[in-house]
Amino acid sequence: MTVQFKPAETFRDMFNFKKSPEDILRFPFPFPEDEYMYSVNIEPHVKGGPTAAFQAAFDIDEHYIAECRERERVLKEDPKRCQVLPHMATAEWDTLELIMESLASDYPEHFSLSKAGDVWTWVNRPLGIHQTFTFGKAETLPYGPFEYITRQVQGDFTLQDQRDDMLYVDGGMVTTQADWSFEFNIGMSFMEWHGPVPVAHEAGVFERALKYLMRLQYGQPVRRLNWTMTINPRLDTSPENYPVWGPDRTTVTPENVGDKVHLRVELQTLFRLPRSNAILFGIRCYLAPLNDLVKVPKWRRRLHRVLRGLRPELAEYKGMTRYRQTAVDYLAALDDGAPTSKGIAPEIDKLEG
Amino acid sequence: MSDQGIKSKPTYGKIAGDKAARYQLLLVEGAEIPAEVLAEGVDPSAFETWTVAHASALPAAPMMDEAPGTVRPFRSASHMFSALEERLDRETMGLRFYAVGAEPFLWDAFNIASAAGLSQQEMQFAHVGPKARRIYCVHCRTLMDGVTTSIVTCTGCGAPLFVRDHFSKRLASYMGVQVDAEAPGEVPAAEELYK
Repeated sequence: MTVQFKPAETFRDMFNFKKSPEDILRFPFPFPEDEYMYSVNIEPHVKGGPTAAFQAAFDIDEHYIAECRERERVLKEDPKRCQVLPHMATAEWDTLELIMESLASDYPEHFSLSKAGDVWTWVNRPLGIHQTFTFGKAETLPYGPFEYITRQVQGDFTLQDQRDDMLYVDGGMVTTQADWSFEFNIGMSFMEWHGPVPVAHEAGVFERALKYLMRLQYGQPVRRLNWTMTINPRLDTSPENYPVWGPDRTTVTPENVGDKVHLRVELQTLFRLPRSNAILFGIRCYLAPLNDLVKVPKWRRRLHRVLRGLRPELAEYKGMTRYRQTAVDYLAALDDGAPTSKGIAPEIDKLEG
Repeated sequence: MSDQGIKSKPTYGKIAGDKAARYQLLLVEGAEIPAEVLAEGVDPSAFETWTVAHASALPAAPMMDEAPGTVRPFRSASHMFSALEERLDRETMGLRFYAVGAEPFLWDAFNIASAAGLSQQEMQFAHVGPKARRIYCVHCRTLMDGVTTSIVTCTGCGAPLFVRDHFSKRLASYMGVQVDAEAPGEVPAAEELYK
């Protein structure tokens, strides 16, 4: 079925955002069990998977046009949300090639790429873009190659340089982030940018993940899911704008909790790039209000149990302290206590209610 | 409160030198090398040393020899850094670069040396002097030097900022985040922590 884009959606101000039943069922629900703890949880990023969100290298859904417009607004307000350090120029072209080829192959109805030697023509039908340019010549594009292509994909991206036995975050397009500052973090090592994450350092999660990622092979991308919660369907929850969105956390009541509290999931993908040997890290953000998630019986039971049992330091780190109990109470009333099966698939084809 | 458990907070050791170095340059944010910053058995006469006199009447010393054992004084840290870029541009492989001083000095030096092509394995840092922090306001990008308290008012946007242990070497700064962003006016009392 062809996806119906909803260009009028907004992720701020009046929050004009609504998920279709199909969009709810394709949500990459992040909890394979009734309990949550940090783990490396990396698996091959191959097509297929428990929901439709895993069927493409770079997932496009019904919010595509509206999310690209939101990105454009954020970049107008704060151009430094996209920066690439000068030594990463080759990685920029690697990224452009990977994303263009993947989109054209996964979504031929929306995107096409044709090549005559180094002269490429890129067509993006949903955004009305038709661009001929010379691969390797940045002056033939309206933006740098990394910015050009990441303005046309959902989700954030960072570029990791690998040197001195370490990964460094030396570039990025970061407009839909869960409370981390790209301007502050650019240039940091893998260990430094994960510095604020509690518990996981002691568990050795980052040492293992780093070792694994430094051996990442070209053509064998990997993925994992991460999650937090956000009040209202707001994509730009940057620390820069924390004074703008922080007060939302005080607005949750038993009456509005199902509409206001959103599960925010990041489908994180990692690709080794061929010429630069850099790693492209995709952080694709999905939002779903509790009211939508509870339409899936397995998900409403599991979400209740995970939130109820979440360690306090993790709840604190994820900024949930003010409204967690309200959310747990709301979900408790909907949890019949039945056992749940392992894995994240919704296990229904049609929503209840 | 004093240990926030954030791993980007830098840790420091002593200047151990490097026997494999072709040449060693030491920057000191002060007039003398504090004895406690050198590892056991390290002889500073093996280094070309730059110092900060914090004095304006210092004659410039443009003809100073660049050699192990020489000591070149500068009027201020800024004065030193203005000469450093040119000095490092003339260097080749095998240089080892050391800095001794307060935290903003060390990471300013690190950034100049990084831009000149040195990797962190070619550098050593020893922290002496005040613990006062340089703070970067994540909301308005103002930098504030000399912060000694757990909470500080941003001189740029007026936000009361909580001083996090999250440190950016590139900005040579700790992050400040508005402490009452969720509930304006709920500002805890500031504690004197970084002296």
